[in-house]
Amino acid sequence: MSRPELAGVAMWILGGSSVVAAWRVFRTDSMVRAAYWLLASFVAVGMVMVLLQARFLGLVLVLMMAGEMTIMAAFMVMFMMNPAGLNPMSMVHQHTTAKVAGVVAFAGLAFVGVAADFPDRPVDAASEPTAELGEELLGDSMLIFETAGVTLLATMIGAIAIAGKRGRFGNAQEGSAPPPVDPDAPAGPDARPSPMHGGHGGMHH
Amino acid sequence: MATDADRDVDGIDEDAVSWSDPLPAVLLVGAVLVAGAYATSVLDTAAAHLVAGRRLRLGELVLGPWREAALLAHMRRSTTERPDVQTWALAPALLAGMAAVAVATVPLAPGVAVADVADGIVLFGAAMALVMVGVYLHGWSSNSVFPLVGGYRFVALALSYEMPLALVLIAAALPAESLSVGAIVESQQGLWNVVRQPLGLPLFLVAGMGLASWGPLGMSDGTDLAGGTSAESSGGARLVWALARRFVLVAVAVTGAAVFLGGWHGPVLAGGLWMALKTLVLLAVLVGVGHRVARIRLERFVVVAWAVLIPLALIDVFVSGALVL
Amino acid sequence: MGLLTSAASRAEVPVFPVVGAGGREAAEALWLLPGVRMVDTPRAAAVLVVIGRLTRALLQPVLLVHDQMPGPRATLWWPVDGRPADDGTDGDEGLLAALPDVVTTTAGDAAGLRAVFADLLAGRRPWGPPALADIESPRWRGVGPYGHGGEGMMGGVPYGRPFAEMAQDPDGLMLDQLPLQIGPLFPALPPGLVLHLGLQGDVIRGVTLGDNPYRSWPGDPPVGPLDSVPFLDARTSPTTVAALEVARARHHLRWLARTLRLHGLDARGRRIAALAGGLSATDRPAVEALARRLGRDRGLAGATAGVGVADQATLEPLGIELAGGPVARAAGVAIDARTDDPAYAGLDFEPVVHHGGDARARLRQRVAEAAQALALAERAGDAVRSPGPPVEGPRGPLAPGRTMPSSSLIHLLPTLLDGQEWGDAVTTVASLDLDLEEAAVDQSATAWPQTPTGTSTASTRTP
Repeated sequence: MSRPELAGVAMWILGGSSVVAAWRVFRTDSMVRAAYWLLASFVAVGMVMVLLQARFLGLVLVLMMAGEMTIMAAFMVMFMMNPAGLNPMSMVHQHTTAKVAGVVAFAGLAFVGVAADFPDRPVDAASEPTAELGEELLGDSMLIFETAGVTLLATMIGAIAIAGKRGRFGNAQEGSAPPPVDPDAPAGPDARPSPMHGGHGGMHH
Repeated sequence: MATDADRDVDGIDEDAVSWSDPLPAVLLVGAVLVAGAYATSVLDTAAAHLVAGRRLRLGELVLGPWREAALLAHMRRSTTERPDVQTWALAPALLAGMAAVAVATVPLAPGVAVADVADGIVLFGAAMALVMVGVYLHGWSSNSVFPLVGGYRFVALALSYEMPLALVLIAAALPAESLSVGAIVESQQGLWNVVRQPLGLPLFLVAGMGLASWGPLGMSDGTDLAGGTSAESSGGARLVWALARRFVLVAVAVTGAAVFLGGWHGPVLAGGLWMALKTLVLLAVLVGVGHRVARIRLERFVVVAWAVLIPLALIDVFVSGALVL
Repeated sequence: MGLLTSAASRAEVPVFPVVGAGGREAAEALWLLPGVRMVDTPRAAAVLVVIGRLTRALLQPVLLVHDQMPGPRATLWWPVDGRPADDGTDGDEGLLAALPDVVTTTAGDAAGLRAVFADLLAGRRPWGPPALADIESPRWRGVGPYGHGGEGMMGGVPYGRPFAEMAQDPDGLMLDQLPLQIGPLFPALPPGLVLHLGLQGDVIRGVTLGDNPYRSWPGDPPVGPLDSVPFLDARTSPTTVAALEVARARHHLRWLARTLRLHGLDARGRRIAALAGGLSATDRPAVEALARRLGRDRGLAGATAGVGVADQATLEPLGIELAGGPVARAAGVAIDARTDDPAYAGLDFEPVVHHGGDARARLRQRVAEAAQALALAERAGDAVRSPGPPVEGPRGPLAPGRTMPSSSLIHLLPTLLDGQEWGDAVTTVASLDLDLEEAAVDQSATAWPQTPTGTSTASTRTP
């Protein structure tokens, strides 16, 4: 098989893998498995981008998603009531809405895919996508990207400054407690409902 | 990946192409990883005996790693209650695979590269980001407390060293005006990056030590956690995990030798020999530090990484950028 | 024998040690044996070495560790005091009854250990089935809508285990808190220490001390010999000051060696353990050089600075401040029984004091005391100390009728460990130099409890 043919086969395999992995996200009980199935899907998409000559973007996608999915898994485990999936639970909610949204989205995209008149401009083999991306980021669109970039950077520095007052838990001797919902009630463990439990049915303590 | 390799070769003659064929590629990368892992174990034994002031017999030094591997292979594999068998098996494979990807991007001698792609440094970064997933899964999947704590420790560690790692690699790419590892090696003819960017190599080695969870940054598999992520691994599974961690260390050393120590450049000796020599030097440094420096507290490392290492890495980028301009 | 087996039988023997009553001194030898490697987890071990007398409370944990070894596996027993294997005490009998193929050798016998290992790998020595039955909680199977014991989102006991409790974390969030027992055989804690912890991630929330497995029950032989024997003997019989001070330096250096191992410095620890093994007053320059090197060691300082601060206010309620000992002196309390001891009168003795009371101060305190002890031993010549005044032991003052130092120090743990990350907790516990067996001297027992104490070991019960 020639290289272009191999690339074609790889494209189909990766495309299929990304769909299967995305489907598995909703078929598992475990937050960690769900997050990493999603990562697998992203990796497959990233590799498809590599095959489409967008190597830099494809690899950066993998690089970013590996960290982000791990963080997502950690947060889901922290905040979910049933993080280990010890009791089977559905990863799918609002079935009717989900079905309608899924069908509409698929139909819409399929219509665009079939009906649209895509431009036919083969990429020049000698083109440098990474360099072009750099030109774009620091050329015409520089103002937009710099604004967004500086805003994000300021947010990150601020978040770190708030979170990291001498160590992991601020002044560790003092600790902190959630503010009470009812101003007259004392601060304490039950003052605030635990986050992210909506939509999963009742709590059984 | 290999499909693009021959088109992306930057300033390397056409002989390189044959290394991107499947069989030579697998053999080359496999040989580098296995030889490097063996060298790591030998260096580790030597350093341990030197530091401990114990006499060392040559036979023990040369054959020790094989004997230990044979013993682990001989021992039974045990399991925990309801582990995630698939991800437990996946973790070492992921580490080894990503180490192989990283080694594949590095030209080991002029023209000897499996996939010296144009975005080699980014590919290295992406592969090393997936190492974090591998270590975390290794800790998580055994369904046991200490491995899980080890897995989370690695995530905190990895999120802290990744920014400095990315920044020093970007700085190294600046003089080459390319993200290809081969081009970075070419750019060091006459002046190695370790001299041109003195901050680069130390920061890279700190991050590399974290990647392989080695020495002072070996908190994911530390003694205080009864072995951490590998506390529940036995027999072959333990062997495979130990190998995978060494593979990552080797990938770090090979990349470091190419990106900061001038790769194959050097007088008299052949390029490949220089590369091997520099890799061994970096491995010796990494292993030696592991026996001299105490395991750092995770909280302290996170603070140091964000407050010291990232600013230093930024200075590295800015100064390198200014020098290029 | 195949090539693989032949190579495997020449490897370093991976050993998991269990320190029974009176076994601490003999256990020091294990680390330095040629061709033997101490491992962190039973999963990596091929040989289980039980050193000293196995108490009743240690039997169940030892059997659990035995079963966690993947196999091929063998169990060695190193009796102390040259007692035969079947001297009729409960613990030993229990071990020999539960594991019939235990090999008894003399403590520190590397050749015997290697021979057992070689036989094991060559198939000449059969290895037995698990000692404990594989029991699962009977109440979950077939219960609930999925037959796995759970119900709804967070109800029931899925697979026989309760859900983690919710508790407030230091940031004020409600997060899972895992109740956990660690010990008595957890390798990074002193032998026999049992901690009941709430664990939020790796942050400890709430600590209670478990039962001391070395506590002797009616009918048991007394505990010991303790590792501070020369100091205990000095309470009642004349001893040379030099012998006492060399023993003190050895004690502190051995502690240092074990602590370095916990900090990931196995090789450096081995070097110091070897130095401690053959220590004499002439090693003073070497120990002083070691103290200087450790004082400059930034890595070790970073790993211990600010960890486990036991200042004078913390020590005072437990009576440690007034008693003295290295932990108190590391917090700036200049109390040392040797100050008023006539035997030390002409020796220019001044207590060494450090400030801060954290793990770093305790480390520097002990190393400085080791160097000072050797200097005293040099100056003391043949001077003999006569019994009478309290003896300054390596952990604090020893006198008849007085509580042992470890008995008070151990009660620092609940305060110091609460809110710490796991690695810091291990550093803190190590820095206190606890000996559970010494603490057991003061723990009088009247009756054997109805339910035997817990069984969790190196690798914990799976949640």
